[in-house]
Amino acid sequence: MSQLRPTVERLAAARVSANAQAHGLSGSAEYDNEVRDRAVYGAEAGLSFFHTHAEGLGLILFFTSTLVASAVPWRRARGALYALLTAGSLFPLGYLVYGVAVPELGRDAGIELAERWVLTPLGSAAIAGLIGLALCLAMTRSRHAAETGPLRSTPGARPPLQ
Amino acid sequence: MTPESTWRLPPLWVLLVAVALILVAEVGGASMSRFKVEQTRWARSVMLARPLVHGLVGVRDVDERILDEALVKFDAGLRLFHMHAEGMGLVIIATTTVAATLVRSAPARAVIIALLTAGGAGYPLGYLLWAALIPYVGLERGKTIAEWLVWIPFGGATIVALWWLTGVVALRLVRR
Repeated sequence: MSQLRPTVERLAAARVSANAQAHGLSGSAEYDNEVRDRAVYGAEAGLSFFHTHAEGLGLILFFTSTLVASAVPWRRARGALYALLTAGSLFPLGYLVYGVAVPELGRDAGIELAERWVLTPLGSAAIAGLIGLALCLAMTRSRHAAETGPLRSTPGARPPLQ
Repeated sequence: MTPESTWRLPPLWVLLVAVALILVAEVGGASMSRFKVEQTRWARSVMLARPLVHGLVGVRDVDERILDEALVKFDAGLRLFHMHAEGMGLVIIATTTVAATLVRSAPARAVIIALLTAGGAGYPLGYLLWAALIPYVGLERGKTIAEWLVWIPFGGATIVALWWLTGVVALRLVRR
């Protein structure tokens, strides 16, 4: 994105011109340039969001799935949480779709496509996975408390990470 | 595998706080995207109802520039909350795992873990507070309140705990 920025801009602008109808280009240079600039900005924003979110969600998947492996004692719950969290970690792909769809389909239609079919379902999976993990941690904690009293902070009382 | 070479879980309540923080960050991010227009409209209406606070003079050209700047900062506050809450959730998990594994003294371990958890969970809320205060009290006053109520105490707790943890880990390296 950094090295190829001029190329990305040129490519996005070319795709906007090739899909003139989707972008409502009118033939007036001043108006068309403004529309083209907005679409190119949208495409770049999509790529930029893909970069930042992919880095963040990769780490979130790594840590949360490690917590699932270490602290959730129920096999089926673990399987469901892995599935939800892994699907959720694919959320950044929605921004890649966003970056490609905006120049191809027009700004509004491109954003709508990415949001409806990728960002919302995968983002919801991530949120559902995190809610599930929080509930499992709360249930595990209350089960521990019921069985052994409050958790102690001595090293022997804490399980190793798996 | 020796106990020394095995990572240990921090207390479950710590993990619960970290996961809840990441969850709040995700929901916040989704809400920012879904309700962006409504949030902007709300902030604008609150600011318009408090012209003195924001220095609005009744001249459209001047006022619009002031409102735009405040709205950009309002949006930035929400974005920074989203980013920091996600990041600090992970920081809590990682650093408290290091503390649970490497700090031998039980009281020191408990204090470091408590500071890391409270600091990490509280700090991002400062951005949410700042964003919420901007329409009511203005940019600078909102920032000052968020700084003194949240960023300095909670950020301070995290910094103290991280230096303490660094010292403990360094000491263990030296004594090896």
